[in-house]
Amino acid sequence: MSQAPRNTRVSVPRGRSLWTREARASRETAVSSLLTALCAALADYAPVAVLGTTLLLCIGCTPSRKHLGNVFRAPLGSNLKTLDPAQASDQYSNQCQFQVYETLFEYKYLSRPYDIQPCLAARPPEISPDGKTYVIHMRPGVEFQDDVCFPGGKGRLVTARDFVYSIKRMCDVRVKTFGWWIFDGKVVGLDEFRKKSEALPPYPEQWHPALYDEDLPGLRALDDSTVQIMLIQPYPYFKDILAMPYAAIIPHEAVEYYGEEFLNHAVGTGPYKLTEWRHGLRLVFDRNPKYHHGFYPTEGAASDSAAGLLADAGKPLPFIDRIVFTIFEETQPMWLNFLRGNLDRSTIPKDNYGDAVLPSKSLRSEYESKGIELVQAKDLDVFYVCFNLEDPILGKHKMLRQAMSLAYDAKQVIELFANGRGITAQSPIPPGLFGYDSTFAGPYGHYDLEAAKALLSKAGFPGGQGLPEFEFLTMTGSDLRQQGEHFAQCMARIGIKIKVSIFTWPEYLDRLKRKQTQIMRAAWSADYPDPENFLQLLYGPNASPGENNANYRNPEYDSLYRVMAVIPDSPERLKVVRRMQELLAEDCPWIYSYHRINETLRYQWLKNHVPHAVLDAPIKYYRIDAEARRGYLGG
Amino acid sequence: MIAYVTRRLLHAIPVLLGISILVFMLFHVVGGNPVYRMLGKNADAEEIARMTHQLGLDRPVWAQYLHYLASLAHGDFGRSWETKQRISTMLAEGFWPSLSLAVPSFMIASVLAVLISMLAVLYRYRKADRILVVLSVLGMSLSILAFIIGAQFLLAYRYDLFPISGYENGFRGLPYLALPMLIWVANQLGGDVRYYRSVLLEEINREYVVTARARGLSKGQAMYRHVLPNALIPIITRLVMGIPLLFTGSLLLENFFGIPGLGNMSVNALNASDFPVIEAMTLFGSALYIAANIIGDVLYAVFDPRVKLS
Repeated sequence: MSQAPRNTRVSVPRGRSLWTREARASRETAVSSLLTALCAALADYAPVAVLGTTLLLCIGCTPSRKHLGNVFRAPLGSNLKTLDPAQASDQYSNQCQFQVYETLFEYKYLSRPYDIQPCLAARPPEISPDGKTYVIHMRPGVEFQDDVCFPGGKGRLVTARDFVYSIKRMCDVRVKTFGWWIFDGKVVGLDEFRKKSEALPPYPEQWHPALYDEDLPGLRALDDSTVQIMLIQPYPYFKDILAMPYAAIIPHEAVEYYGEEFLNHAVGTGPYKLTEWRHGLRLVFDRNPKYHHGFYPTEGAASDSAAGLLADAGKPLPFIDRIVFTIFEETQPMWLNFLRGNLDRSTIPKDNYGDAVLPSKSLRSEYESKGIELVQAKDLDVFYVCFNLEDPILGKHKMLRQAMSLAYDAKQVIELFANGRGITAQSPIPPGLFGYDSTFAGPYGHYDLEAAKALLSKAGFPGGQGLPEFEFLTMTGSDLRQQGEHFAQCMARIGIKIKVSIFTWPEYLDRLKRKQTQIMRAAWSADYPDPENFLQLLYGPNASPGENNANYRNPEYDSLYRVMAVIPDSPERLKVVRRMQELLAEDCPWIYSYHRINETLRYQWLKNHVPHAVLDAPIKYYRIDAEARRGYLGG
Repeated sequence: MIAYVTRRLLHAIPVLLGISILVFMLFHVVGGNPVYRMLGKNADAEEIARMTHQLGLDRPVWAQYLHYLASLAHGDFGRSWETKQRISTMLAEGFWPSLSLAVPSFMIASVLAVLISMLAVLYRYRKADRILVVLSVLGMSLSILAFIIGAQFLLAYRYDLFPISGYENGFRGLPYLALPMLIWVANQLGGDVRYYRSVLLEEINREYVVTARARGLSKGQAMYRHVLPNALIPIITRLVMGIPLLFTGSLLLENFFGIPGLGNMSVNALNASDFPVIEAMTLFGSALYIAANIIGDVLYAVFDPRVKLS
């Protein structure tokens, strides 16, 4: 084949330009003829083409039943936000980062009430008699997983300095963490460190500034394996804080190497390492070959033993080689994939609940015959309706709030919006936490329309006369709108007019934090299993833009809170908590709605699966009975 | 033509600037302070004020807009409030999955629609035509959500003909794309057939077609040689207006089938009120519509000798 010489230009004779009318006309005719000929040919075979296309699409589309191996497959209900422990505040991010990162302490898997045990610590912390100094010895010989961020790609030993670095980084203003509040005002010198970090050059100029190496009186690595933490005052729940994902230990090499993209990488000491993250699609974690320090619990309740949950006692973790999290933004594909056996575990979508679960709260037989099991557990949360007590009417008239509380039908809310999966709340503290009392009932925490009407008259507003229309603030979403409308209906029964206003999440937050609200729907999930985490939601100094969105201020409550926050669980603490609950029941800054009961479905081949309200996905304890799964799925 | 396209591109700049001002102002009003989201539920007033200042959100709106514009000029759409990912990376990652679903579906649907319309016109007012009209009205009336939910349940779950959801790169992704493509085609056919049939019907009743038939051309020949070329302008208009959808993806299809494309990204951003992503998608979509308009005008000139680009 001859090659055209370089720099040869196509010459167009004068008067026969490529863009003359004749040339264009002939070109158009050619295009048109080509198109018509093509269409004619296709038209003759149109039915064949339609059928052929459909058949072609179907060929090879049936998924093959390939051998799955020792893989656990779970859904994620939303796109993952981050794998940076300092930023991970949502359920799904925590689920994923928990597979890779570890903290000094972790929750015991089978123990209830929830309690902690050493994880990267060698043993329980040594706490000074005044409860203010913690000395923690690190577990020896634990290494970070291999990663390109380390010299030679080989992970190194974890030291006490890594813990100090991780906490300091988390408290660095530039990191924009969600988790600063866990240490805010608690550790000697840490607030000052945070203040100084404001002056640091913005990221990414200095990932590891000299400030990090300065000695901090309250947070020190005494040697390679010993950490000392000094608290400003004793906090009985501080050990729980050290088990929170925000306190995970990360290597500074990873932060420096990945820079701003650290949120897309995970380099930890945990049982798994991240091998694939396809945004919007899936995350894959594989067994970390360097993980040798986790063992299945040897202690549990008699019921755990009876349920076979101690069959693997003392065995090294993890049991599963690979985890595949698939992201499902819609519930239908998640549900169908679960029923097909493509997932080992699933939640029950609201729309499918009646299909799967009988009113007696047992599974329908067709689901049971597929080897599906229903698992129930109480969540550590509370749903409520919140008054803004800075509103001139709602804040001033306690009896009005009490009447509205009596007119609110929480049981109906549970039936209508939670498929009956809830326990009516009588205080902020959910079942399972210290201070919860199932027998406690506030004087206005039940549905009583007549009493509500009488109280409203007593408040000076008979039949709602003299009251303006109140605004009920909620967020976008049909379910939330319907809940707002339900609240309006409840209040209409005693003559109070409610306008439901729906906002996007940022607008809602904006109104909340700027106190531009009257009544709003809200919920809170436990950060750690201590009543303080719920009772602080009504502590005066935490008023908006803090967490106390009711802007409730009661001097007695506030002083009791300060006592409750620093004394360990004891009869004395219980007494304080009870009094706080009574004050809230009387003042009605909230109308209590319910505490959720979480229901999960799993296949019988998933072993050692125990719902845990604090740990989002303790997969290292799970085991797959591959034989049973093969029997069901084939392949 | 080059001068024309250049002029149209230059005209697009103030249009895009106008859109950017509208979009920025709109989301500035409804977006609220992003710091509340960034710092989470436990943030206190001091933290919020510090972060608001750090991000320049306490500056005048015009200053914030200029900063936003400067970032856009560098191709930087910022980061998502929700996923913290760089939006330009998100756009790049979502591009191919969207195209791999949209381009073949759009092409198959468009060719089929033209062919079916031609058949309907050739057999106009007969039983076959009536059936096609009824089917296309039915297809137009059914929401794509009904197609998706029904087909995913029946064809993927009940009859196990397709995977229920998922995505893979390259040819391994074909099985996963097959069902969403089928739904896309079925959904697009209804409206397209109805539209193209009207266009062709209007053309086939013109006098020049009668003349052509009188000259001895068969029905098919008259259709292929005369009717179709003359009906190309409205057909091109409709095709070109579909181009932006190829990039922005089919919102619900991608969402239900777990295809990590731009449509999926847009739905997630809308659900999460992730305004920077919505802003970027709005601008991106506007730019595509402007581009599609220019392409459409150029194609008119190519296919219709009466049209001059000046």
